[in-house]
Amino acid sequence: MDAERGLMRRVAHGDQAAFTDLAQRYGPKLLAVAGRLLGSRADAEDAVQRALLQCYAGAAGYDARWAVSTWLYRILTNICVDELRRRATRNVHDERLVAGSLSAASSNHRPPAAYLDLHRAFARVPREARILLALRYVDGLSYGELARIRGISINTVKSQLARGKALLRDELGKRGV
Amino acid sequence: MGKTDHLDLLLTDYFRPEAAAPGLARRLASAVGESSAALERLEQRLGIEATSEGISLVRTGRVDKPGTAAARRLIEQAREEIHEYLHGRRAFFRVPVDLRAVPDFRRRVLEAARHIPFGEGRPYAWVASRIGHARAVRAVGTALGRNPVPLILPCHRVWRSDGGLGGYIFGTGVKNGLAALERTTPVLEGCTTTRIVCRVGCIHSRRMRQENRVVFASVQDARSVGYRPCKLCRPAA
Repeated sequence: MDAERGLMRRVAHGDQAAFTDLAQRYGPKLLAVAGRLLGSRADAEDAVQRALLQCYAGAAGYDARWAVSTWLYRILTNICVDELRRRATRNVHDERLVAGSLSAASSNHRPPAAYLDLHRAFARVPREARILLALRYVDGLSYGELARIRGISINTVKSQLARGKALLRDELGKRGV
Repeated sequence: MGKTDHLDLLLTDYFRPEAAAPGLARRLASAVGESSAALERLEQRLGIEATSEGISLVRTGRVDKPGTAAARRLIEQAREEIHEYLHGRRAFFRVPVDLRAVPDFRRRVLEAARHIPFGEGRPYAWVASRIGHARAVRAVGTALGRNPVPLILPCHRVWRSDGGLGGYIFGTGVKNGLAALERTTPVLEGCTTTRIVCRVGCIHSRRMRQENRVVFASVQDARSVGYRPCKLCRPAA
């Protein structure tokens, strides 16, 4: 933990090597979250890059009471959520996209065949619950950390996760998994 | 219970991070070139004219001095809002515009462009069909090109149907820069301590501390996790 904070201090001082280290350490996990939320690998990389840049620019304002990962996840989810919002309005306005939005969004990112059902069911889960599920299962974050990342109460985290999972179970049940 | 475990396992497996591609870290860490220099220069050259009713002209270069105190106040407000907008801290304009001197057709075009959401683009043809003159695409282009209050009325969100930039009063470099800027500026932000969600640029949102900001995709989403919309900036549901 202290090692991470030391790393952040070096990043704040503009240490390029420390920044690469940070990207190496958290890149894959951030990419996994962003990939599942945004659906495409290219969009995910773009989001992670922007998150890391924001983190680089804002490293001086990093508060040592936060775990570095919590802080990074907050920045990343903020970016992903805004990207999802943009897509939602775009799809409403562009009728051509409405029909193919799901398949278009996920065309670049092909999940293993076994997970296709899960992939489709996942798209049915409300946005906030989807975000929490992704964070929860990529890094095994605790309820407290999730609450902190999204700025909500622990009880809301629990109810959202339960609701998301119930929906997933329903959807998968329908498909006979 | 057994079923829960099954789903948990499935999800854990589904979300397992892939092995990092070689060079990924370096690629992620390489800073992307910012196009903000063009926007920075633009801000310094902007001249603004206003009547007592609203902003009537935004151009680069010399402009007439405001005639009334009300106009002066509006110009100050516009300057501040444009400054925040160009620095990614504002997603809407509050300052009123005065389009009384603009002919009817052009005014309708500008009103239509106003309905393009922040951070998005629409083709010229979209604007044309929206005002009921589907074939008047060229005229729409001209009307947008003569927009008296660019930035505040978003003529920069209208692009060519083939994805090309089209023209822009401040140059295509600025148009591109604005598109990039709006793509990275969030629209709805909630404060984690007050549990209130604001449009970015609202005075309440400006008071939030950086570490208390969370972005939401819609007011409905925010409500579902216990946030309420701000009563001042009233983000649409």
